[in-house]
Amino acid sequence: MIAHRNLGLVAAAATLLAAAPLSAIFERWTWLVQAVIAVAAVAACAALARLGRTPLWAQVLAMLGGLTLALTWLFPSGAELLAILPTPSTFGHFAELLTGSVEDMRSYGVKVPDTDPLLFVTVLGIGAVAVLVDVLCVGLRRPALAGLPMLAIYSVPVAVYVDSVPPVPFAIGAAGFLWLLVTDNVDRVRRFGRRFTGDGRDVDVWEASPLAAAGRRLAVVGLALAVLVPLAVPGMTVGLMNTLNSGVGSGLGGPGLGNSPGRVDLFAALSGELNQSRVTDLVKVTTTEKEPFYLRFGVADDLRANGFRVRGPNGQRATGDLPEPAERPRPGVERTRHQATVEVSRELNMPLLPFYAEPANFDDLGSNWFYDPNLQVLFSNRDDSRGKKFSFEYVRSTYTPQALRSAQPLPADLPLRRQQTVTPDVPEVRALVAELTRGERTEYDKVRAIYDYFSEDNGFTYQLSTEEGTSGQQILDFLENKAGYCQQYAAALAWMVRDAGIPARVAFGFTNGSRRSGETLTLTNRNLHAWTEVYFDQIGWVPFDATPSYGVPGSTRSAWAPDTDAPEETTPQDGTSDTPDETDPTAAPDRDPNQFEEGLDAGAGTGSDTPAGRTSPWPWLTVAGLLALLALLAVPALRRLALRRRRGRLAPVARTVDPPDADSATAGQPSVVVSTDPDRARADAHAAWDELIDTLVDYRVRVDPTETPRATADRLSRDSVGTDAAAGTAVRLLGRAEERARYARDPLTGEPLPAALRTVRGALAGQADRRTRLMATVLPPSVLGRWRTTIADTSARLVAAGGQLRYRLLRFNPRRLIANRASR
Amino acid sequence: MTQQTWDEVGGLLPYDEFRAASDAIVTNIEQVIEGKTATVRLALAVLLAEGHLLIEDVPGVGKTKLAKALARSIDCSVRRIQFTPDLLPSDVTGVSVYNQETHDFEFRPGAVFANLVVGDEINRASPKTQSALLECMEERQVTVDGVTYQLQTPFMVIATQNPIEMEGTYPLPEAQRDRFTARIAMGYPDPTAELAMLDGHGAVDPLPALRPVSDADTVRRLIGHVRQVHVADAVKQYAVDLVTATRESPDLRLGASPRCTLQLLRTARAVAALDGRDYVLPDDLQVLAVPVLAHRLIPTADAQLARRTTDAIIADIVHRLPLPHDRKRSPYENRPPAGNGRAPFEPRRP
Ligand SMILES: Nc1ncnc2c1ncn2[C@@H]1O[C@H](COP(=O)(O)OP(=O)(O)O)[C@@H](O)[C@H]1O
Ligand SMILES: [Mg+2]
Repeated sequence: MIAHRNLGLVAAAATLLAAAPLSAIFERWTWLVQAVIAVAAVAACAALARLGRTPLWAQVLAMLGGLTLALTWLFPSGAELLAILPTPSTFGHFAELLTGSVEDMRSYGVKVPDTDPLLFVTVLGIGAVAVLVDVLCVGLRRPALAGLPMLAIYSVPVAVYVDSVPPVPFAIGAAGFLWLLVTDNVDRVRRFGRRFTGDGRDVDVWEASPLAAAGRRLAVVGLALAVLVPLAVPGMTVGLMNTLNSGVGSGLGGPGLGNSPGRVDLFAALSGELNQSRVTDLVKVTTTEKEPFYLRFGVADDLRANGFRVRGPNGQRATGDLPEPAERPRPGVERTRHQATVEVSRELNMPLLPFYAEPANFDDLGSNWFYDPNLQVLFSNRDDSRGKKFSFEYVRSTYTPQALRSAQPLPADLPLRRQQTVTPDVPEVRALVAELTRGERTEYDKVRAIYDYFSEDNGFTYQLSTEEGTSGQQILDFLENKAGYCQQYAAALAWMVRDAGIPARVAFGFTNGSRRSGETLTLTNRNLHAWTEVYFDQIGWVPFDATPSYGVPGSTRSAWAPDTDAPEETTPQDGTSDTPDETDPTAAPDRDPNQFEEGLDAGAGTGSDTPAGRTSPWPWLTVAGLLALLALLAVPALRRLALRRRRGRLAPVARTVDPPDADSATAGQPSVVVSTDPDRARADAHAAWDELIDTLVDYRVRVDPTETPRATADRLSRDSVGTDAAAGTAVRLLGRAEERARYARDPLTGEPLPAALRTVRGALAGQADRRTRLMATVLPPSVLGRWRTTIADTSARLVAAGGQLRYRLLRFNPRRLIANRASR
Repeated sequence: MTQQTWDEVGGLLPYDEFRAASDAIVTNIEQVIEGKTATVRLALAVLLAEGHLLIEDVPGVGKTKLAKALARSIDCSVRRIQFTPDLLPSDVTGVSVYNQETHDFEFRPGAVFANLVVGDEINRASPKTQSALLECMEERQVTVDGVTYQLQTPFMVIATQNPIEMEGTYPLPEAQRDRFTARIAMGYPDPTAELAMLDGHGAVDPLPALRPVSDADTVRRLIGHVRQVHVADAVKQYAVDLVTATRESPDLRLGASPRCTLQLLRTARAVAALDGRDYVLPDDLQVLAVPVLAHRLIPTADAQLARRTTDAIIADIVHRLPLPHDRKRSPYENRPPAGNGRAPFEPRRP
């Protein structure tokens, strides 16, 4: 019974540990407190029921009762008895909470705030799992099965919060499960009494049960799989994959940017896509507007120390009419209504959809898409943009500088102003902003002063290959180097405008691109763009694009934010009066409507915009890498060469000595020349033969370990050296020398073995095809084969030695030592 | 008869002398046997290896002819026994008879008391008679009525027999087969040799005209020479590997005996000497493996069912057995290279 109580407690604790992944969903920890209460109630009721030795079904009923009481106390409808006894109205309230939770799940992006419906569902779920785990572990003694309901908890964050479930909470949950298994096993084994190893002696206390060895291994493998598989499967934890290869490559166009609009690193995606050598069509948009402003899909307005970040959007379903954007007409603000259709290609995969600001209504969007009116983004927590096609109406506003100039500073305590003007403290930037905006009276003039600063006259250039990031230091670097692309321009302008006390943020989208047919624009990854939006009182968010227009194909300029690099630029300080020119919605008078086609070349050039003055280290690194590779590749050939050189260096000229008389000469060969140094001659013959064998391997001629030297030589002279009679003789000589060296009393001496070797090698090379010859020279198979054999032998030896070492070390097993000390 | 000891016979002869003596015998025999040089040389090698020769083939391919030619070429005592079912053991070994004049038992030597004994159609005699040869072949002595008589040197039994499938044959017992150093098959002569045979022997049999070209003394000297032929350790190792492989082969019920190993090396020495070498090569062992090993082995029932002859099994073993390597060699020497299409030799215990 004690064991059972213990197991029940462990089951409850394991359930709570398994709930750890839910921390990824909730903003705060309220859920955990409530879950602890519910699980404690379940466990307490189970313990009480078992104390009374009730059957299993009664235990289940008791636990469910405990859960109900806990839920009633935690989520009261107000009509309870004694605060914990539920009444019918309590259950009605529960039903409401349940339906409400469905709605909440749809509308909130992660992380979710503490709403009653969501908390209720969470606590109910954890409580139910606690009941199940208890029944499986204590009641049915099947703790392994308890892993399933525990895994169910894990699946909640996976489903709701698809992109990045952090692995640590999962590991905690898994640890809880293992704890449960171990507790159960210890309990089970204790009941056996004595344990045997199976080879005739008791299992020491310190030893793990040999019976459990397979189980332990399975558990380890399973745990490793459970942690690794979710990390590796795209879509499950794209967040992690993204952090692994953030920067280049993980672009918007790439598959699986994940499903959470709050987690997309739009900056990294942007630079990744712009740096792609491949050009992919991402979006086709058709609009009734003649010269639209940029198509827009995302915004980064959360400025932290490490730069601008995307916030999780929040909004209502994007079906039907949206609240009409700012009805009140203002002088100098012109609003026109247009109709547009967006067709996203299968290459663009993100939880956001591009559209023109400000939308009045959306058509053909499923119920999965939500519109955040503050961020002005269209997002989804479960769908993605791939292949989406939808149309919408939108209102385009254009402003005269005067209209903007008339906007008043926002009240300092307005939440919007408080939130959107925070900047990390970078004194240098702050000083620059103060200097630029000195003497400017209106908000618009301040913005223009900063905006105009990013001009060619001040030395700013477009450069795509710049350091990533928008942190304070990186903004400072950009202001120093004055070279960057849209990311730096947009972020720096937003930062500095914020420093001037005016809300600003970075918007992401597409320029108008360089391919237009009729009303349809085709936008590619090269047209991805970022710009700045500034908030003006009573007017709203107004776009400013500070990036030099020559670097951006399809860049457009407006009356209120003209091209700073244009030759006939009129400074806003001068143009205080209303001129007809400035009221023209299609500002930037130097551009004609056909500019899109002309932008094509600029688009092609974006990849190579690096100014010639800045030398990149890549060519050198590449050359060095290639050289290193070549050197590495040359090692086998050099080794072969050295080997041949060494073998060829032997006994070149035999010191021939005439046989003193016929009797003392070897009886076999009357004409044999006897050298005075038989050992040397023997070694020479062996070396020559080894070299011949290596040569055979190099030229892919069969080498047969069952053949005698004589048979090998015969075969070679017959089959392998072609019609070359000299080579035939030479190879026979080599064979005879080797066989004499191996088997005779006296080795053959005074024979020109190196020369014979050369002859044979030449003949073999002549018979081989070109590829074999090349391989024999560059990557000689003989050397590679010998290395392979050596490696195989060495590793086999190491494995054997490792096994022995392990066996010896077992003597110092800590568990064994502890057990010995305890027994003393 | 006084005989020299092997020390008196002496060691290695000069190359030319050995060559001349051995070539003379071979050439002489070849006057009678057409187109069988290898067989003739092997028969001579067995003589020089102090072994006994079993010639096994179908009737009429010159077995008897070869045996007689070899016997006639050497000027020494030759006896011929025609083995028949009614041949008695005493006909082979000899018998003690009571001499009326001396009033004593007198030993009348049997057919084996000669330098060369030609046993024709040996498997037509009863096993009892066959086994009478056992002692004399191995120990070169005859014991009759408790008295042991030494045989002469050289002593060689050249037996002929028909394959066991032939009618009216008693298969040789294993012990008897094991005493024959080599079994050779004559084989049919190739067409040109057969034509030459028709030309040369059509009218008159050249055998009676054959003159001896050597004598027992010379043969003893030749044997002395063969005994001195060098056998490197690697070659000995190879011989042992070879017989071990037969003992471990899954196809063989009975492997080669240590006696066989000895005889293999001795014959290899003789073959090497006939080839003009004073050292044995593994090649010699490979050539001799089938003649020396095959007739002693007994295939398993499975191999018999699969109609695998011991000749084929031995050839297969030779084909797969790697050469021993007496020093650190390149890895290709002790490892079958990939893609040579042959499985490495894997001995297994039956
Ligand atoms: N290779 C050969 N060369 C010369 N004569 C041969 C050859 N083979 C067979 N003969 C002849 O065939 C006949 C039968 O030979 P023999 O030795 O009696 O056969 P068996 O093998 O039955 O003993 C002899 O007359 C012999 O001359
Ligand atoms: Mg016959």
